[in-house]
Amino acid sequence: MIWLAATGLAAGVLSGLFGVGGGIVMVPAMVLMLGIAQRRAQAASLAAIIPIATVGALVFGGADNLDLAAAAALIAGALIGVRLAGRILPRLSDARLRQIFGALLAAVAIAMFL
Amino acid sequence: MTPLEVGGLLAIGLSAGFLAGLLGIGGGVLLVPAMVLLMGFDQHVAQGTSLVVIIPAALLGSWTNHRNGSLVLRDAAALAAGGILGALVGSLSALGLDDVLLRRLFALLLLVTAARLILSRPAPGPSAGQQVP
Repeated sequence: MIWLAATGLAAGVLSGLFGVGGGIVMVPAMVLMLGIAQRRAQAASLAAIIPIATVGALVFGGADNLDLAAAAALIAGALIGVRLAGRILPRLSDARLRQIFGALLAAVAIAMFL
Repeated sequence: MTPLEVGGLLAIGLSAGFLAGLLGIGGGVLLVPAMVLLMGFDQHVAQGTSLVVIIPAALLGSWTNHRNGSLVLRDAAALAAGGILGALVGSLSALGLDDVLLRRLFALLLLVTAARLILSRPAPGPSAGQQVP
């Protein structure tokens, strides 16, 4: 439990610092360091992201670093995307999920440096 | 916003939501770079907007996970206990950082995480390999 809280703390710092949910820290930490299965780790991560992102959103919003019109359009798309993923997720193996996760992060990182 | 911009945001949101639901992440790793690289947002505004978008996406995804039986609330509560404190520290720090520096740090974060995930193997543990129907 204490390691989960420590993982959450690290993820929270990164979430606030970088505007991400923190799942890119929580999921690998739970799977690689705590030995939690990929699917269970992903579910816990996503639920923890709800309060973590809320705190960051309030701080950024307080400093006027928000585009609410853009957020509305993004949310409309995101909710459709989440529904699609929910239908596909049960058919993928844990190993396959980890591979997709790693490939995604590498691709985004390279694009940000260019 | 022009119709083209709205369409672009819808597509970015859809991709991010898909990844959020599929991989248990908020979707910010895609939302922030896409807003900055494709739509020309400031790094800070992209990050704040990303956090707002993540909340409903994570809510819907968590509801789906709960119905599939893969959500262990005790795990999530322990993560959130540390996470809320961390988020406060992190977001207040981000407000004090230069936009370009913040963008470079963001890219570094992604590279390090990707390298770790690709190069390491999962640790053996009590729940490793557990199948959830």
